[in-house]
Amino acid sequence: MRGRRPSLFAALCAVAGAVLVAFVLLPAASMVVGAGAGLLGDALRQDDVRRSLWLTLVAALIATAAAFVVGVPLAYLLARRDFAGKRLVEGVIDLPIVFPHTAAGIALLTVYGSEGFMGRLLAPLGLRFTETVAGIVLAMLFVSLPFLVDTAREAFALVDERYEKVARTLGSSPGGAFARVTFPLAWRGVFAGAVLMWGRGISEFGAVVILAYNPKVISVLTFERFEGFGLRAAQPPAVLIVIVAFVVFVVLRTVLLPRRRRSRKGVA
Amino acid sequence: MIGLRGLEVEAGGFVVGPLDLDVTAGEYGVLLGPSGAGKTLVLEAVAGVRRIRAGRVLIDGDDVTSLAPERRRVGLVFQDGLLFPHLDVAHNVAYGARRRGGVGRPTLGSDAGRLAELAEKAGITRLLNRKPATLSGGERQRVALARALAARPRVLLLDEPLSAVDAEAREELQDVLRRVSRAERLTVLHVTHDRAEAFALADRCALLVGGALRQTGAPCEVLRRPADEAVARFLGARNILAATRADDDARVAVLSAGVRLRAAEPLSSALATVVVRPENVQVWRAGDAPPAASVLHGRVVRLALQGGHVLISVDTPARFEALVPERVAERLGLTVGAGVDITVEPEAVHVLPRR
Repeated sequence: MRGRRPSLFAALCAVAGAVLVAFVLLPAASMVVGAGAGLLGDALRQDDVRRSLWLTLVAALIATAAAFVVGVPLAYLLARRDFAGKRLVEGVIDLPIVFPHTAAGIALLTVYGSEGFMGRLLAPLGLRFTETVAGIVLAMLFVSLPFLVDTAREAFALVDERYEKVARTLGSSPGGAFARVTFPLAWRGVFAGAVLMWGRGISEFGAVVILAYNPKVISVLTFERFEGFGLRAAQPPAVLIVIVAFVVFVVLRTVLLPRRRRSRKGVA
Repeated sequence: MIGLRGLEVEAGGFVVGPLDLDVTAGEYGVLLGPSGAGKTLVLEAVAGVRRIRAGRVLIDGDDVTSLAPERRRVGLVFQDGLLFPHLDVAHNVAYGARRRGGVGRPTLGSDAGRLAELAEKAGITRLLNRKPATLSGGERQRVALARALAARPRVLLLDEPLSAVDAEAREELQDVLRRVSRAERLTVLHVTHDRAEAFALADRCALLVGGALRQTGAPCEVLRRPADEAVARFLGARNILAATRADDDARVAVLSAGVRLRAAEPLSSALATVVVRPENVQVWRAGDAPPAASVLHGRVVRLALQGGHVLISVDTPARFEALVPERVAERLGLTVGAGVDITVEPEAVHVLPRR
């Protein structure tokens, strides 16, 4: 291949890709440049920004962990079994993607708010979802769940089911075959879904602001500063979360992607 | 032993069975049939990894129909080995390793003697530290075999284990399968569409065509006396001809245009189908055929090379196909349109009743 000129098709793909990358990069870069290093440093020294940043990252992580516990088994089931109503279940899982997020917040409020069915049920256990961290986690969980379930389902579907059959004849129970064979072969895809879900969670505004304006996640803090003090005051927290999320994404992809490429042949 | 009693399996509307089949203890049984016959479904049903519609599965006399696969103690080897790609060869082999008697799970180290012995038998000792992705098709199958045996199965189930390897590796693997199954006194059910493979390995063959078990028997018996046209066709008996019983001699089958062919046994019905394997049709230069029970005169209409043999189509006018070594075809100087004689020994004429 060395010395050969790229084809016209490859060149067109590269141009299209460059347009898309620029489309995403320009606003992000403009925001970072606009905020400036001094402002970012100031923002990091402000208690409310630091608290908000930490809250956002942790709440998204808790939501992702919760989705992992219930979403991975569901993803496995959807990848492996055909059952009545399967398409309906898949549609329901994807519903939050098309739900306007403020509407999602209102819907959650009607169920988990102090007057809602689940809200009243869980209140005696000390679980309240309005103006609490639990509310933030709930909102993040709702809007970002499909990213984990859908990606994990595809990852499980790529693992040849016959591996499990062999594992069963070698003495593994269904759970044992999952733990010793299927999950180790699918984990990169599952974690890629978890990373996507976490990323979607930290960016959530609409559903969170309806359920829990306080304590403020970074998107709400940015919005509040923009409303109260204008663009320049809103930029530092927004830039901070973008930089942190970008670094986490790049690090995780660096860890996951090379192995994923190599394993494509063996697993599918 | 493996026993199937009225076994029925369904997949996507295709039903296999009901099947009744026995593979006796220590026997190497081959389930032979064309692609899509339902062979893998049967094998998976025996392994317990596929739900059955009806019937029972017996292993060593125990009814295992309702047992989970992990409790049946069967070894299953698929066509492509299906080694776990995230484990090296040693850990693949040790995956299901059981202590003698099937109780407890040893670690790789605790049953090292047995695993080393299996590795030796399967010829994979030098591969133990390798990852599956670095192995050839034949090596993968050897590892898959060792992995299945390490779990001390009561029966070994092989699903087209040789079809994904090259010809040289296939012969080596056949030797390994034969040697290991004898040494371990294993009951084996081996599924294949490859006739040569079946005849190289089987103590007994079962023919599965279109989801139905058509015939069981020793390989040579099945080859010489196919139970019906479908089996005959699948086994490569290219001369399958409609015939009537001659009025003057019950051992003579009358083919189209009055061509007469003598069989060793009397035809049991007035209408029959005559089956002659192409390698049992002898070809001679016109006029050179020795006096024989059936000498037919015809013309060569087609010549086709098949490995080291030539497939010769002859119109007598009933169409016969003969398979002769290339050197014989060359010696006869055969060309399309040439006149030839063909002879068929009565013992090579297999007659099926026709309704």
